[in-house]
Amino acid sequence: MKTTLYIERDSFVHRLHPTAKVFGLFVVFWSIYWVDNPLALMPLALIVLAIALMMGAWENVYRFRWFFILIIVPTMLTWMLFYRVGKPLITLPPFYVSEASLMFGFGRGLKVGALVLASVLFLSGTKVEELAVGLSRLGLPYRLGFTITLAFRLVPLFMESALTVVDAQRLRGYDFDAGGPFERIRRYVPVVVPVFMGALRKANNMAMALEARGFGRTHRPTSFIEYRMHPRDAAAFAFLLALGAVSFWIYYSGLGAIPTG
Amino acid sequence: MTELRLMWRNTRMVVLCAISAALYAAVLVPFKVVPLIPGVTELRPANAIPIVCSFLFGPAAAWGSAIGNMIGDFFGGVSPGDLFGFFANLFYGFIPYKIWEIISRGEGPVIRSPWIAVKYFAACLAASVLCADFVGWGDNLLALRPFSLLGNVIIFNNMASAMLLSPFILAAVYPRVRRGRMLYEELMPEIKPAPMPRKTLGLALLVAGEVGAWITGNLLSTGYWTPGFLPAWMAAAPYDKSVAMIVSPFMLLAVVGLCLM
Repeated sequence: MKTTLYIERDSFVHRLHPTAKVFGLFVVFWSIYWVDNPLALMPLALIVLAIALMMGAWENVYRFRWFFILIIVPTMLTWMLFYRVGKPLITLPPFYVSEASLMFGFGRGLKVGALVLASVLFLSGTKVEELAVGLSRLGLPYRLGFTITLAFRLVPLFMESALTVVDAQRLRGYDFDAGGPFERIRRYVPVVVPVFMGALRKANNMAMALEARGFGRTHRPTSFIEYRMHPRDAAAFAFLLALGAVSFWIYYSGLGAIPTG
Repeated sequence: MTELRLMWRNTRMVVLCAISAALYAAVLVPFKVVPLIPGVTELRPANAIPIVCSFLFGPAAAWGSAIGNMIGDFFGGVSPGDLFGFFANLFYGFIPYKIWEIISRGEGPVIRSPWIAVKYFAACLAASVLCADFVGWGDNLLALRPFSLLGNVIIFNNMASAMLLSPFILAAVYPRVRRGRMLYEELMPEIKPAPMPRKTLGLALLVAGEVGAWITGNLLSTGYWTPGFLPAWMAAAPYDKSVAMIVSPFMLLAVVGLCLM
């Protein structure tokens, strides 16, 4: 089972400096945040989709297609419970169905969907090491960045070990799907305990290996991979700043708002 | 809360943090048992891991819980609300062992009597409520989802795993970890506990803050309470401004309580 969404490609997004990628994610989040009206949000979602196509991340977007629908519909229905604004079109308790609540609910659903889409794009073109470098350039302490990277590296190991235990228990006739939801949760005890103890056995050796390599001797350790800024990164920064400014202008001018009449 | 900073100087704690995070993510990603709100949250056996790790590894588990949840989010897409999820999970892993230090009187967290079970339940409930408050508050501040949706589902979700799974895992692993001298008290003897009156005051503030935030968050986000002292434009759906004005002070109170503990 894959534990990251990263897809190996040589697109312009993949070649960007990690800081530009992290900044890009922040700007897209910012841009989506300011716009409420689904019609005003559409062009932004289309830009993100176009970038997905250009950078070869379509397989991840396609993989998440049901997830996007599952995010948009419940978010929309939830807001139709609580956003009681405008003249009701039909009576459908407990939902409040007005033009404003439909627009608001759909807008929120689309917004959450667009946020996830942007993050899928980011993760499709960014390795874990790049994420750690990007965040450390933005001020994240080295040890925290290292821990995040190490944890990402350990996940497949533990997951594999968990799946092995599941298979071993199934071979013995243990049924993980029997019973109600609570019984099904309780049935994971025989999986978690061996995985847990196996992980702890690694902890001491790992700590010794790290200290033997001088971990913690300096706050500014050298890195095997050096990332340099290029003119394309400056162009990306300029584009992102313009995108952020336009989105804020859409909000400020009222074009991104939902009519509440 | 100084141990949350001090632990980064200790290589073993850094490794245990990465292991806690990886274990959480390794169980989180493949074992999503029953969807509670499709696309939003599901019944997660993995939520038992931060509780278990908290009693074993203290501050390393708190950071591990935050990072593990982040890795889980990265597997399925992130949004600005996940920043609140990061800190909510940090508290979810931080609170159980801090409360246990105050109420346990030197006993281990393995449930051997009804009285220990009551204390264990209280520690887990306090952690679950602040975690839920933080995510609900954050998502409602960003007007992505109403407080009452996530604020209640997360409590149920966390408590289900904490009560059905964690006690069994703890019973199996706590004695072994203690024998292996890998409990956080042994790895970080430099942690000096705060005086009892200060810790008790901290606990009282934490409980007051999180209960206050939970009650006001639910009342405001469902529209059952419209504070008369707020202007009408602040008290309107999606209630992000009223949640910011009323719930935020309770959240601050809870965090001050945690700092005192």
